[in-house]
Amino acid sequence: MSGQIPAMSGGCSGCQERSYETPYTLEDGSWESESETASTASAGRTGSCSSDDLEPEWLDDVQKNGELFYLELSEGEEDALIQANSTSAPLINHVRFSEKEAEVITDHKPKEPCKHEHRLKKLANVLKKKKRLYTHSCSKGVASKANEQRSSQPPGPTSILKHQANPKIGVSVQLSYKDVYVYVNPNKISDKALDEGAKLLEAFVGIIHQPSRKNPVAGKLSDRLTSTKMTTEERLVVHSLVHGSAAMKCGQILIGDALIAVNDVEVTTENIERVLSCIPGPMQVKLTIETLSPGPVGTGLSVEHIAKPIPTVNNLVKLLWGQDTTDLQMEIGNIPHIAMYLTLKLESENSKEEQQEILYQYPMTDASQKLKSVRGIFLTLCDMLENITGGQVISSSLLLNGKLINVDYWKEGSNLLLIGLPAERVPLPQLRNMIKNVVRTLQYMYNSLDSAFCKLENVPRLDHFFSLYFQRAIQPEKLNCSASLSSWCYSSSSALFLDSLPGVRWLTLPQDIKVDIDTALSDLESADFGELSEDYYDMRRLYVILGSCLFFKGYLIGNHLPKDDLLDIALYCQHYCLLPLAAEQRIGQLVIWREMFPYRHLLSSHEPIIEGYQEPKGRYFLLIVGLRYFMLCVLLEAGGCASKAIGNPGPDSVYVDQVKATLLQLEGLEASIQDRLGSPTTPCLSCADWFLPSRDKFESLSNSPIISKLQGTSKSTQSSTSRRTLFGDSSLRMQKSSPPKSNSASDNGGERHGDASSFSMNFSPYSTSDMIKKHPRRESQGSGGSEGSGSIFKNKKKQSFPNPFYMGSMKKSLSETETEEMYNITKLTSGSENTLFHYISLETVQGIFITPTHIEVAQLNGSTHSQLIKNFHRCCLSIRSVFQQTLDKWERKYPDIIHNSTQINLRKSSSGLGPLKEHGVLFQCSPENWTDQKKPPAIMSYWVVGRLFIDPHPQELYVCFHDSVTEVAVELAFRLSFGLVT
Amino acid sequence: MAASVQLLCLATSSGVPLYCRSKGESRQLPFSVIGSLNGVHMFGSNQDVLLTSTCTDNTRVCWRVFQDSITLIVMTSEEDASDLYLGRLLDNIFSAMVLLIGLDDLVNLKNVERLKRELRACYKLIDSFLAASDWIGDLTQCVDCVVSPDTDILQEALDVFVGAAESNFGCLMVMGKVVVATEKWWRLAAQEVMLLAWLVGSLAPSSSRDYPIYLPQGSPTVPHRLMTFQLVPGVEVCLLCGPTPSLQQVQAELVERFWSPLLEPLKGCLRTHQRCFPTSTPLHPSILGLLLINREQNKNLFILQPHGVEHSQQQGAALPPTRRKSILRLFYTLAVSAYFPADTTEDKSGYILTRAFCFEVTATPLVIGPTPG
Repeated sequence: MSGQIPAMSGGCSGCQERSYETPYTLEDGSWESESETASTASAGRTGSCSSDDLEPEWLDDVQKNGELFYLELSEGEEDALIQANSTSAPLINHVRFSEKEAEVITDHKPKEPCKHEHRLKKLANVLKKKKRLYTHSCSKGVASKANEQRSSQPPGPTSILKHQANPKIGVSVQLSYKDVYVYVNPNKISDKALDEGAKLLEAFVGIIHQPSRKNPVAGKLSDRLTSTKMTTEERLVVHSLVHGSAAMKCGQILIGDALIAVNDVEVTTENIERVLSCIPGPMQVKLTIETLSPGPVGTGLSVEHIAKPIPTVNNLVKLLWGQDTTDLQMEIGNIPHIAMYLTLKLESENSKEEQQEILYQYPMTDASQKLKSVRGIFLTLCDMLENITGGQVISSSLLLNGKLINVDYWKEGSNLLLIGLPAERVPLPQLRNMIKNVVRTLQYMYNSLDSAFCKLENVPRLDHFFSLYFQRAIQPEKLNCSASLSSWCYSSSSALFLDSLPGVRWLTLPQDIKVDIDTALSDLESADFGELSEDYYDMRRLYVILGSCLFFKGYLIGNHLPKDDLLDIALYCQHYCLLPLAAEQRIGQLVIWREMFPYRHLLSSHEPIIEGYQEPKGRYFLLIVGLRYFMLCVLLEAGGCASKAIGNPGPDSVYVDQVKATLLQLEGLEASIQDRLGSPTTPCLSCADWFLPSRDKFESLSNSPIISKLQGTSKSTQSSTSRRTLFGDSSLRMQKSSPPKSNSASDNGGERHGDASSFSMNFSPYSTSDMIKKHPRRESQGSGGSEGSGSIFKNKKKQSFPNPFYMGSMKKSLSETETEEMYNITKLTSGSENTLFHYISLETVQGIFITPTHIEVAQLNGSTHSQLIKNFHRCCLSIRSVFQQTLDKWERKYPDIIHNSTQINLRKSSSGLGPLKEHGVLFQCSPENWTDQKKPPAIMSYWVVGRLFIDPHPQELYVCFHDSVTEVAVELAFRLSFGLVT
Repeated sequence: MAASVQLLCLATSSGVPLYCRSKGESRQLPFSVIGSLNGVHMFGSNQDVLLTSTCTDNTRVCWRVFQDSITLIVMTSEEDASDLYLGRLLDNIFSAMVLLIGLDDLVNLKNVERLKRELRACYKLIDSFLAASDWIGDLTQCVDCVVSPDTDILQEALDVFVGAAESNFGCLMVMGKVVVATEKWWRLAAQEVMLLAWLVGSLAPSSSRDYPIYLPQGSPTVPHRLMTFQLVPGVEVCLLCGPTPSLQQVQAELVERFWSPLLEPLKGCLRTHQRCFPTSTPLHPSILGLLLINREQNKNLFILQPHGVEHSQQQGAALPPTRRKSILRLFYTLAVSAYFPADTTEDKSGYILTRAFCFEVTATPLVIGPTPG
């Protein structure tokens, strides 16, 4: 299912007359002729060829200005979405087929801004072609006839396609009839299947009808029959159902029922194929069924369907598609928030006109009107305070209905961008980051704020932009789409912090996979083969590929872009929530194309980096193609050594196809990347709950390293496997709980501290890896006691491992047991137990950060732990704001110190907290359900420590670890960043 | 532009400036600026939008309206000014005005000119809030204390003295820091205790005073008498009482009688006031400064020179006491605004945040501060 932003739909009527200068037109032409020959000449042409000849699905979504945002969901998602839609707004998508000659009209009237109709038309076009080919393969006679027809009627067979406002039949059916809604996606059915003569009824709906002997013609003959006007109509009795089909899934069509009508068009054996062939694209179809037993089963099911909650997934997708999102808007409607773009230049003559200083404003709700009405405050303050203090106004705080609202200013030229959000949702330092990001995103998309806000045609786009923006800021949980609760909790707590980091979430991968990815990306970037090479068309190429970056499930796994470009793209993707979208398998196909104005080039235009060198004055285009979990972003340059871009070129299908091909090629790696995601964390983490003695924590207790050590070294591998199967592996539980000590320890809540093992169990040690082996490079830091067992494996394997993160690379080359041992190496904290709960490491130079993956966090599921992680992120937020203040001050003072580096200056600048580097907070927590009245609740203390490294390059690290070990954050960071900077 | 603080006080309804105080080498703001600063706030409040603060790269402006009659605006370019500090500053300043003038005169602005004259009496106290001082009570809203080695004797003497003066409220101060006070004195609102200490500390030294004061929370409209008697230079005993007894009476009959035997302990107080606690208590030599807050009794110990003046002068090159003070103040602000929001019960989750401990390592030696919890 495709979608587009309504803001852009205004331009789509013009997409037909889009003209391509330069080679595109030529190429377009050749494509036309090619398809022409294909359709006329070869009857034996296979389905796979025909799909090549189809114009890409996204072509009609291209805007007048060349932009494209095409998002197609994967099948399962679509299904759910359509069903959810139909419950809320039933029958809106239905298509009526008129008469027996069901037809699709391709009207050339200016389209309504309704995306559905638009889509239908587009897919009808696609379908037309399919049908053509299909007929060719059936019989040449018909084919030639069809060709004649086509030449006389260029638009092809016309048919009627209408919106049905209120279908009456659906309500007034007789008792023996029932309406069943099924979701049909013709795109799913391969042409091959059709060629083989499978019937549409079977393929689309899943109903198998055995024709009576009298008329044993299959689908392809029915065409001929109609042409000869033979009327051998027969009722469509359901003889069986195709397994897994729509009809079976809905559970309301029973064998023996008869299909009477499709979307209120009466169907028989004679016309069913044609009626179904007119289904233009994925849609819901109403089947009217005559049933023998209008049993309660069906109704029960349908009720269930209605009651099914609409998944939150929809919200995000709806927003992206720009569909009706009033319910979402309503929810935040009474929360005051505003984005305004004001001009400070007031012409006194025009002052009669109201609100003429407002260039743009969003939203228009009542709560926001209040903020709008006091815009005078902001204008005055901005003007006055700048005059008095000589500094730019940064922010204001207001009390509105007892709620604290923060308003942040961004001045560009004589214009002022204001963003106001309630303080309870977004703390002030956070708001500063947010406005920086939004300005950067807007500059990236529109070159400057002025060009974004001052063009009238941008207004609907900006509305969409800011509606997304505020949805993300105010209710991120509504847009979060993780299915499992724990990861949902994780992402909502971390979203605020992680989104503000100037970096992209990086997934460390085994070396061989990395090489494969890099090779694939480099191949694409070289653009020296096939249609991309200049030799192919013997002319200058359209675009040079500057670089690309690859995302998998929202993690960056490959990057060939400079940091600033990467951050630009990341911000764009973040804004449009593309990364969480790809995290679940939600993307069927995603194509984004737009002109961009990279930050790097905005900067470099002011000051040349290298004397005498000038960046080519080119134009830059961003192409994002997403398939399933993968998303590949490519930055293209026109001008420079490629041909100059003229006008607003749309996406070039050659490039899109190449990128897609690269993605398809990369899909082979999916399994191994999934492995990496699912495998135990490389720097091992502990769960906070393991550090609290608790009754119902048998599994975790039984995982105690002490016990497994007691049971001999043979168990060592086992216990590390148990980490994976920690939740729900009964055999392990049995085996591990055998020593009675663990029982007593857990039952008494830590009362008996007599023997060593139970004592340490109560204390902390449920680390994920029982044997600590040191990495060769970390040997010096390693604790001596654990060295012995580790060295065995080191000797066995003479390989040297480049860094702790790439441990996963061993997975393939080593046998299973040995792999497990390798994982044990990766404990980050010192001491005998692993006390690390969580970490975030940010590399500002490369613009990436690493943190445990969602899966890792989900594995460490525990009530205390999730609270801890929430608290960790909240704490990081405040720590980071301190760091930022420090950095800001430094930057302000730095030039001074450079220029006249006198002692006096240094001393003068030493107010404030100074170049702060490390900041730690100690928290204590106890389990929430402490039932035992007699004993004081168990207390677990943990540190959240943030550290800012300024030398040699800015780097930030946040760790959360148990209090029992005094960790030096530097050391942790050193180990963590091993894999990142070499 | 050098660091400066500008304080504006205006009548809310009319917008008439009542006074302006400033610190640092800045000129007084032009009237038009004062007008527009007040104007934006007034414009907002007419639209039900209450402007509270604004910050620029280098300046912070804070607005507060008290009792719908007095508007206070503070504008500061000091780097360590925070919203928390400015909020408390304005609160302290209004309370100081109430302390000396009484709430009635501030709420019912009949004669603005007369009020302006009366407010002059507050300038000294207000200026002491603006100026950097060796106290931290303005920020913590707790009173600065000194731990004397002879606390028991002094406490006993004070109790008897206050009883003899037919009062319940008495306190012994050294350089504006409380040594001992009667039980009732501690039951006054924390801010009042702090304000009284600041008032005594800010006034010009004199052998005895009889000062009418209003207690901002206890009795904002009915004045009490604050009597102070200098025992030794820098050490004063304060009494809070009604119409009786007279100053002469107490001075002549009681002060000499109760305090002259205790001359040595009083002098001892004076000696320890820089260090704030007896030398007998050992302190690690690496500790440069210390802030200890007792939240139950609203007392704090704020120590900048724990190893004596001479000792700190030797180290002074590395970290002068003013810098230590600013670091401790900043650290307190950071910890309180980030981790201990004043009046929140924080624990929606059901977890008890029993204690928290922050540290920061900076390029400058160290700051370690245990904070209340």
